[in-house]
Amino acid sequence: MIKKHLIEEAAFQAIRNGSTNISPDVRAAFERAIAGETNAGAREGLSKTLDSIRLAEIHDRPSCADTGWPIFYVKAGNEAEIEGGFMALEESIRNAVRRATKEGYIRATMKDPLTGFDPGDNIGPNIPDFTYKFVPGTELEITYCAKGGGSECFGGTRQKVVAFADGTKGIEKFVIDAFADAARAGAICPPSIIGVGIGGTANVAANLAKEAACLRQAGSHHPEQKIRDIEDRLYRGINGLGFGILGAGGNTSALAVNVEYAYTHIAGIVVAISCNCMVARRATFKIKADGSIEKLPGAYWFGDR
Amino acid sequence: MAEYHLTAPLKDEDVMQLHIGDTVYLSGPCFTCRSKLQRYIFDEKHTLPFTPADGSVLIHNGPIVVKRDTGWELMSFMPTSSIRFEKWGAASIKEWNLKLVCGKTTMGEQTAKAMQEMHCVHVSPRSVSPLLWIDSIEIEGVDLFEEMGSIEAPWHFKLNELGPFVVDMDCYGNNLFDEIDKEVRENKKKVYNTLGIPEDFRYTRLYGNENTCEP
Repeated sequence: MIKKHLIEEAAFQAIRNGSTNISPDVRAAFERAIAGETNAGAREGLSKTLDSIRLAEIHDRPSCADTGWPIFYVKAGNEAEIEGGFMALEESIRNAVRRATKEGYIRATMKDPLTGFDPGDNIGPNIPDFTYKFVPGTELEITYCAKGGGSECFGGTRQKVVAFADGTKGIEKFVIDAFADAARAGAICPPSIIGVGIGGTANVAANLAKEAACLRQAGSHHPEQKIRDIEDRLYRGINGLGFGILGAGGNTSALAVNVEYAYTHIAGIVVAISCNCMVARRATFKIKADGSIEKLPGAYWFGDR
Repeated sequence: MAEYHLTAPLKDEDVMQLHIGDTVYLSGPCFTCRSKLQRYIFDEKHTLPFTPADGSVLIHNGPIVVKRDTGWELMSFMPTSSIRFEKWGAASIKEWNLKLVCGKTTMGEQTAKAMQEMHCVHVSPRSVSPLLWIDSIEIEGVDLFEEMGSIEAPWHFKLNELGPFVVDMDCYGNNLFDEIDKEVRENKKKVYNTLGIPEDFRYTRLYGNENTCEP
């Protein structure tokens, strides 16, 4: 039986780690970007950002002041026994969000969209957001993502229905155009991790794009060649646009392009894009059936990627 | 591209020497705002509880501040996107005696006009490095904390060589990001070419007046 207090602790650790650090794959992507950046000012900006992230971990402080929308992904073992069930799991995670807000690991950013009311603890209708995936076993894995306001609000997240007549070129053009619009003046905090969802209904495509942006290992590839080719082409294309860090010029505009897909209706292809901030923050903690908590190097939401 | 170390309050000559692409470090007093404050002051006609000095520095920002027994502690700081405050840009410059606005992204035409008229510039960060910045920021106080909350209340900071920032709008009507836009437009043509997307590609229109992503 996985106890409620363990869920709260694991969620709190995921928030604390996620907010004050970046995962090893994103760090490696940063190091590759610094090595490959030819614009001196952009290279300095990337180095300073990575230096700040290192200090954030040492001093236990948020690596960006915008800690974004608090979103949680839970991989639940099919045989996992949870004290109080899934409603208790969600309440435990909400408690962790309250505590993390109070201790300054997440900013009290969530507010009422119409009245502007600020609850001060990031808790409100449908926030935090929960997504589940059921897997074999008895364990629970909780991933916290901080989905930044810039990357979500300035056009880095949107979708379009492409006709079969327009095919792959139509899909790739949409991603290039959407990114080029959104990265102007650094609005979405590039270099971005760009998630692309192809197919399914609108919400399926949007969720795949967000999960590809927030959960996929930076530097991983889709196992199917046809998708991997799109990832490679878009990665090269976006890095050829010349935005650089925060849009002030440079040859690194994307840290990664991750594409996921679903089968679609013969009527058309929904394509969704979701960009994640360069300070791409997530952390995953596993709770085993014996009650021990372990930090994982990645979310591995899509198999081994 | 020159480097300048400026101390607020700023004078006309401090600002008039700056051109897009220059690097700036900031010292002296400044205050922060986001849209809630601007709406409260300019739309709802409340009075700002302090008088900004001539030549003030404004930072668009929502810091993470925690109250400790010893006082306020700045946990994290990152300038936020200025473009979303364009509605109040010109009014802020004029009413709050601003000579420099710091924020991510840039601002629009109306603010650019006010910047030329009043001699004011906009500067933007080139990194996301809160931990390199927070030691350069001392919290001097806060106003309207109850009304605005800790993120949107105007914080009064004392800066010590905070930077580097790049001048993206100077007081001569130039915008650094407009220059980069021109390069991006040219680069995009090359990218289309590499991807095999014809320049005259048009989407099959499936509904209404879509194609919002058309160049």
